[in-house]
Amino acid sequence: MAEPTQPAAPSAQPALPPAGPDEVALTIDGRPLVVKKGTTVLQAAEKVGLLVPHYCYHPGLSVAGNCRMCLVEIEKMPKLQIGCATQAAQGMVVRTANERVARTRQGIMEFLLINHPLDCPICDQAGECRLQQYEAAYGAGFSRFNEEKVHAAKRESLGRHVMFDGERCIKCTRCIRFCDEVSRSHELGLLERGDHAIIGTFPGKPLDNPYSGNTVDICPVGALTLKEFRFKARVWFLKDVPSVCAGCARGCNVNLATYRNQIHRMTPRFNAEVNEYWICDPGRLSYQALEERPRLAAPLVRRGSSGAAGPHLSAGGESAGAASAVTASAGSAPADAWSGALDAAAALLRGVAQRSGGQTLAALVSARLSVEDLFMARRVLHETIGISRVAVPAHEEGDDDRLLIRRDKTPNGRGAALVGVGAPHAGRVKEILEDLAAGRVRGLVVVGEDPIGDGLLTEAARRNLDALVVVDWWRSPTAEAADVALPSCGYGEAEGVFVNFEGRAQRVRAAIRPAGQADPVWRILAALGNRFGLSGDYPSASRLFDEVASSTPVFAGLSYRALGEPGVRLKEA
Amino acid sequence: MSGTVAYEPLLLRNIDKPGSGTIDVYLAGGGYEGLRRTLKEMTPEKLLEEVKASGLRGRGGAGFPTGMKWSFLPKTKDKPRYLCVNADESEPGTFKDRLLIERDPHLVLEGIILASFAIESRRAFFYIRGEFHKGARRFQKAVEEATARGFLGKNILGSGFDLDVTVYRGAGAYICGEETALLESLEGKRGLPRIKPPFPAIVGLYGCPTIINNVETLANVTLIAERGAAWYAGLGRPPKNTGPKLYCVSGHVKRPGVYEAALGIPLMELINDRAGGLLRADRKLKAVIPGGSSMRILPAAKCDVLMDFDSLVAAGSMLGSAGVVVMDDSTCMVGALLNLAAFYAHESCGQCTPCREGTGWFVKILTRLERGEGRAEDVDLLIDVASRVEGNTICPFGEAIAWPIDSYVKTFRAEFEEHVTRRGCPIGAGAFALQAASVTGH
Repeated sequence: MAEPTQPAAPSAQPALPPAGPDEVALTIDGRPLVVKKGTTVLQAAEKVGLLVPHYCYHPGLSVAGNCRMCLVEIEKMPKLQIGCATQAAQGMVVRTANERVARTRQGIMEFLLINHPLDCPICDQAGECRLQQYEAAYGAGFSRFNEEKVHAAKRESLGRHVMFDGERCIKCTRCIRFCDEVSRSHELGLLERGDHAIIGTFPGKPLDNPYSGNTVDICPVGALTLKEFRFKARVWFLKDVPSVCAGCARGCNVNLATYRNQIHRMTPRFNAEVNEYWICDPGRLSYQALEERPRLAAPLVRRGSSGAAGPHLSAGGESAGAASAVTASAGSAPADAWSGALDAAAALLRGVAQRSGGQTLAALVSARLSVEDLFMARRVLHETIGISRVAVPAHEEGDDDRLLIRRDKTPNGRGAALVGVGAPHAGRVKEILEDLAAGRVRGLVVVGEDPIGDGLLTEAARRNLDALVVVDWWRSPTAEAADVALPSCGYGEAEGVFVNFEGRAQRVRAAIRPAGQADPVWRILAALGNRFGLSGDYPSASRLFDEVASSTPVFAGLSYRALGEPGVRLKEA
Repeated sequence: MSGTVAYEPLLLRNIDKPGSGTIDVYLAGGGYEGLRRTLKEMTPEKLLEEVKASGLRGRGGAGFPTGMKWSFLPKTKDKPRYLCVNADESEPGTFKDRLLIERDPHLVLEGIILASFAIESRRAFFYIRGEFHKGARRFQKAVEEATARGFLGKNILGSGFDLDVTVYRGAGAYICGEETALLESLEGKRGLPRIKPPFPAIVGLYGCPTIINNVETLANVTLIAERGAAWYAGLGRPPKNTGPKLYCVSGHVKRPGVYEAALGIPLMELINDRAGGLLRADRKLKAVIPGGSSMRILPAAKCDVLMDFDSLVAAGSMLGSAGVVVMDDSTCMVGALLNLAAFYAHESCGQCTPCREGTGWFVKILTRLERGEGRAEDVDLLIDVASRVEGNTICPFGEAIAWPIDSYVKTFRAEFEEHVTRRGCPIGAGAFALQAASVTGH
């Protein structure tokens, strides 16, 4: 079909919208758009909803341009250009899906797969693998390669958490660039050449930086797998629940991947204001405590503690052996167990107040709890029961690093301060424990903390207590020593709000059902409060947060809906 | 003998003199006079204009006009500028730069000083192929001699112009002859080509504006400074193919070697008159690679061609590095291509997908063909896979393998098909190639 028109120019393009001084107007697949100068063709296409397929490009890393999957046609350029590195220019006419581009992509897919083992049935990446996705979308569906493939190591441990399969690797170098540019630890390099090129560590320097797990997330294929997740679950069974990491005060946004009421992995969820694309390794594995620690699954009441408190509960006596603690519910229905345990706790606290005076009651409340929990702790422990001394233990370890990790290991220290419980304060905790050792504190409520396990409260001092009421999700040494231990939800079992160290309020979600008879802390505290005359109806965490918002100025106007996925930076905070 | 006039060598004028390579021999032949005069009489801009006017095109392979390349440097001078000399001569069939480096290093060094003056660089790097032990030694000695005589260092010949030259040996990778891989290697990193743009003239060595020139190109700059652009532009086939050229002739000829002629010498004259004709009288010419292993092959019927940039493009190939590989009819084209493919598979840097995966695939197909295990579809498969490599890679390495594959298979298709139908090599000449392929691990 000989058309006498001149080449390139004739393709009738829609009129370009006007572009500002820092902008350029172009068309991509016939769609006119305006983007900021410096925007790449790939990013510009994204803006109009067009995916330019890519492996090596990652928005959090430098451009490598090596996979060649994002080659697109640009008018007036003889060769196809990579969308990831080519900047949009005024009047540019881009085609991302014509026959020439499609043929090239098909070729790239074929190249990527000729030496790939195609071991999808045993590959952890299957189901979230770009090779699978793009082969289905852009590949030929078959290979013309009839030769022996290049072989490489199938399971090479690169470090504590990361396993490498050299045959699945497509040498996109995302992992290398991550270690060079983000963790800046430089453990990985490309070794050898040609189709024998392989990712590897340098001698004596394993991939052990505190962010190594991110290399697994950004690996677009099954080459890098997380040792803690390998062969645990097929990803198509997993459901990602958006949440926030509770490992430190950063509050990195994460997804909790669940299947059959179990969290199988935790991966970063993008938040430009908090963690971008990354999380640290300790945070990534923090959910494991839920499986590893012995669970407090039902309320515990120490024998002899259930009735009205008597002098026999004081120092010594039968409280010496934790083994003597039994569930009050043995054989009875959960509701009865709960109500019995709460009655026992209330009676114990009331007894101390009556005998020794209200000023001998104190409470330790954790900054690992949510805003809702802490709000209820203040309302019940302080305002309703009348405990005047409520302190929040500090948990600090190491130093702030230049990326994400914070020295402050409490995820909601700011929240504790904002709801009026007080910021984590080691000194205030110490005062209470000193008074306890001196016999001036006779009743202690511990919510989400483990002062015995943390070495703050000694066995000898504990004997000074006439009442030790503990709310926690696991059988911590403190829970084991309690007169009454009430089982709360663990991480991932309850929803709520954390305020990170920068004052950003973010939602934590319930990803799995609570274990055993565990309940959210706020609900346990409300039930305890009821026994001291607390009125009010708290049907859900969301409604409770509404009350926090209406009564606490810094949260004014907020709700779960308003917080949304990225959270909200509190104005005053 | 054909009727050409006897050629007076310019680039090779010193190589056969006793004591060639020393500064005394070079000076006795009028060396550094062009530099002396230039520094005295010219500004950098004027010298750049001279080089532009000479019509000099780069001798490294692409034939890009040298003066124009220099003029791509940014006008601002907030960053240092560097000259990098590409002495990583590794293209199979090419050995001209090595001769200059070993036998007349001062001719090159004078060109380096002139080019640095023109582009206002105070620091030049001489990136020399790692295997060129002797060349590196000799060039280092030349740098020391020139420094001692005031041609290098501070205030060269009283002009106020300073220049230091650093000799840097590569670690042994063909890809480091690609200019941006060279820069990476020079910076101490793995030699991987960079994405372009930005081009080195804008962002080059250590992020600074950088010009990369071939050894022979710089030797030509010396000639231009010596005798002027007008004289130079009259050599060869003006206006676009000017100056002298070194041709490396190898393969089935009586006298393989480096021959100098003005650009545009007929290929057959080069083979028959200079290189003494075919090695054996009972053989016929089968094919010639005119410009180093990366260029498309010319069958005997197309060898009536002039050896300059534009004539070879018109003939369907390129002058490239002017590595002329002559093949007589004892050559198996499948074996010859396998030999080349094994080289490229071994030297592919492994960075980008089409080249990394394609080069190894070619070797596997060609090995089967040569062994008699070929399939009918292999012939078209080679052409198709090459077409998916070409144009889609980060650097010209993709073309460097795709062009030979495409041209050998298309030009000698019947021979490739015969390897399938006769279940093996009809000529029986592929044993070496098979061995070469196995040595490289493919």
